[in-house]
Amino acid sequence: MNCQLCLKEMEATFGEKLSGVSQTQVEAHIAECETCAKSYQLMKLANKVMEAEKAEQSNPFLSTRIMAGIEKLDQCKEGFQHISAYQKVLKPVLISISLASALFIGVLAGNIYKPVQPEYKIPIEMSYMNDASLESVNLFANE
Amino acid sequence: MFDNEIISLILKGNRDKYQILVEKYQPMVFRTCMGFLHNKDDSDDLTQDIFIQAYQSLSKFKGDASFSTWIYRIAVNASLNKVRKTSKSFFFQRFEKVFGSEKSIAFEIPIPDTENPENILIQNEHREWMQKALNSLPENQRTAIVLSKYDDLSQKEIAAIMNTSEGAVEALIQRAKANLREKLSSFRKK
Repeated sequence: MNCQLCLKEMEATFGEKLSGVSQTQVEAHIAECETCAKSYQLMKLANKVMEAEKAEQSNPFLSTRIMAGIEKLDQCKEGFQHISAYQKVLKPVLISISLASALFIGVLAGNIYKPVQPEYKIPIEMSYMNDASLESVNLFANE
Repeated sequence: MFDNEIISLILKGNRDKYQILVEKYQPMVFRTCMGFLHNKDDSDDLTQDIFIQAYQSLSKFKGDASFSTWIYRIAVNASLNKVRKTSKSFFFQRFEKVFGSEKSIAFEIPIPDTENPENILIQNEHREWMQKALNSLPENQRTAIVLSKYDDLSQKEIAAIMNTSEGAVEALIQRAKANLREKLSSFRKK
């Protein structure tokens, strides 16, 4: 038996106990081949992990939780059916319209406001004046 | 009482009959969830969601396939959706790991107290390898191997659930086993 056949046999059972002719041949091969022996150990390990997870039990009260969840769901559905058309449709629509109106009025109010413009306007010639080139008033006063 | 009879009673308003179906199929749905999530608490929560979802969709059950096939399909789809959501939040889990307390999400194999601590560490490492290897498989291979190894379903039953042929299921399982072996070998080398 070569490695390829050995791996194929091992993968077929994947870590579970081999039987018959396969068992003898695989055991003989893995006694000689370290690589296949390691692969076999890994498959056994994988199988052990899967078996342990498989053996795990669910919460014993899970079915009670499920039925309670379904009962709550049905109650919510019944409650929703008893709500009037006003609650279902009109109320959300009215709230949306109110919010939109408030937003619109706010924007309108903001546009109405205009800042007050000062009456006195500085002549444009003043902006060309250079303070550094002006003579001091004290110079004239002391003359 | 057959499943179809119970379902017709439930649809007529006899809600309490649904508990019969829940108690009958809960273990298999739970095992399927464990195969994908590897965590007992998450599997319990997902099992609950699956049965509630099945109840809400009960009127859509046409009876073409058996109820078990139908609920397996819901379980597989719900598990895959959960896995996809979990992988998206992986970044935040890493963040929590660095800066805060990490919620344990891995399944722990019960180990006797008398076990050598070094052996416990090695076994935990092996468990993590196995879960990483399973999580790295493509979705269809993962589904096939979970239904085969965790639920002990035949290839015919798996083919009905996955809506494919028996030959395709056999090929998927073989590829999944080969990929698992290669992944585990690579973890071992590291």
